[in-house]
Amino acid sequence: GDSWGIFTFLCAALCNLPALPALNCTEELGAGQSIQKTYDLTRYLEHQLRTLAGTYLNYLGPPFNEPDFNPPRLARAERVPSATVDLDLWRGLTDNARLAANYRAYSRLLCYLRALEGPAGTAELRHRLGHFCSSLQGLVLSIAGVMSSLGYPLPVGGPSAPPGTPVPSNDFLKKMEDFWLLKELQTWLWRSAKDFNRLKKKVPPAVVTLRLEARGF
Amino acid sequence: DSHIQYERVGADVTMKCGSMDWDAAVTWTVNGTDIDASHLNGSYLILKKVDLTQSGQYSCYEGSSWHLKYQTYLRVGTPPKEPLLMCRSNNYPKGFYCSWHLPTPTYIPNSFNISVIHGTREMVCEKDVFPKNRCHIRYLQLFSTVKYKVTLTVTNALGKNSTTATFDEFAIVKPDPPESVVAKPVPNNPRRLEVSWQNPSSWPDPESFPLKFFLRYRPLILDQWQHVELSDGTSHTITDAYAGKEYIIQVAAKDNDIGTWSDWSVAVHATPWTEEPKHLTTEAQVTETTSASTSSFMPPPTTKICDKGAVVGSGAVAVCWTAGLVLAAYGILFI
Repeated sequence: GDSWGIFTFLCAALCNLPALPALNCTEELGAGQSIQKTYDLTRYLEHQLRTLAGTYLNYLGPPFNEPDFNPPRLARAERVPSATVDLDLWRGLTDNARLAANYRAYSRLLCYLRALEGPAGTAELRHRLGHFCSSLQGLVLSIAGVMSSLGYPLPVGGPSAPPGTPVPSNDFLKKMEDFWLLKELQTWLWRSAKDFNRLKKKVPPAVVTLRLEARGF
Repeated sequence: DSHIQYERVGADVTMKCGSMDWDAAVTWTVNGTDIDASHLNGSYLILKKVDLTQSGQYSCYEGSSWHLKYQTYLRVGTPPKEPLLMCRSNNYPKGFYCSWHLPTPTYIPNSFNISVIHGTREMVCEKDVFPKNRCHIRYLQLFSTVKYKVTLTVTNALGKNSTTATFDEFAIVKPDPPESVVAKPVPNNPRRLEVSWQNPSSWPDPESFPLKFFLRYRPLILDQWQHVELSDGTSHTITDAYAGKEYIIQVAAKDNDIGTWSDWSVAVHATPWTEEPKHLTTEAQVTETTSASTSSFMPPPTTKICDKGAVVGSGAVAVCWTAGLVLAAYGILFI
């Protein structure tokens, strides 16, 4: 009840802070290398998420940790923009739109994941979540770096809970929300690999090839 | 008039001769052959614990007039066991297909019904003409968080059974194996083989959804495979082949990020380039005459381990020199 309200408020406050301009780590790299780095980060995070999600779902307990669990999506305002998209629409996205969609999604996801850190079960779980959140922040910054190096403006208006979002009324529904959050995160990481693959093709090939050769084969 | 009758293996079957009375005199035949009267109970034909061999056309004739009173086709079979269902996307992101079969035959006709549910939406899986037990579906959306639930129901005259498969869009991606695998020797390179292949033709968009590859090779004479994983490109040069040995080579493909590896491609055979043997015979004649005139101690004819002309390779020459030195030292001791 009350604690959830406080979290939502904190979330809105935290997430309305402007994106940290820690671009000094990426501005020296060309756009090609930034894209490759971002791609690698999504793969790393996807791998990390597998362990994290397993642990977190076990903490939520059954039925959330059952492999066949396939609940219907409750009809309500979604907190995080969905990765699901029409194929032709996805293909036709401009580089700017593609990057912006990723940036917005991960900023929101980061915010909600941070909210999980507080009440989550064991100290070990909180530690894992914390580590994941740091890596996820790295991804957000990396995307911002790519956008900046390509001359695109960062999407304005930080993520905030849409007005009128109902507060989960019971423990089970709260757990459902956590379940969907992890699902959405997982799907976005899968999608981003494809998004950044597409972006890789658009960047001068010379830069990208250099990086591949350096990886030694 | 004619009927078809389906019965389970092991069941007891009673056939009535149409509208004839129980005590009427009749003759039954199966596929034209008379059936012994011991199987009759009045005018009823009794078949106990039927087996597959008893399938056939059963006819009943009135005793004296030999009029055909009833005819039926008996098909002995079994109700269907749980079918095996497999769904796979070899053409991501276009869609996926599902194929199925029964683990054991039923010996009677079966009909299949497949339903695909995605969230709240029911999708249509279009049946393929060939192969028969297969249908395909097009993705309406990509990167879905909701799983697909496919239910296959098989029905025949003796019963029904079903199975369900639930999966994420990403989990079932498995490309077809790479095509047109070619392996060629490299001229003047006795340890190299050049391998090239093509993306499977069923993969619709390798630009946006690139594939990575796994190459495996071994000489025919060995069992151990060597592996190379390649993130890019459709060719690779093997540089550590054993000289003169025939190799077997295969390639597999996988989407760069999701799903599983394809089956191995068709195997190709190749042998690395080897030098022409005729040059070696001329050299042997030259070196044999020179060594005969320069050495003071002639090695006995049996120790012809180092016929310099016949051996190729720097390693062999080193052996020759060592042997020569040993023999020379031996010779000095005895002079």
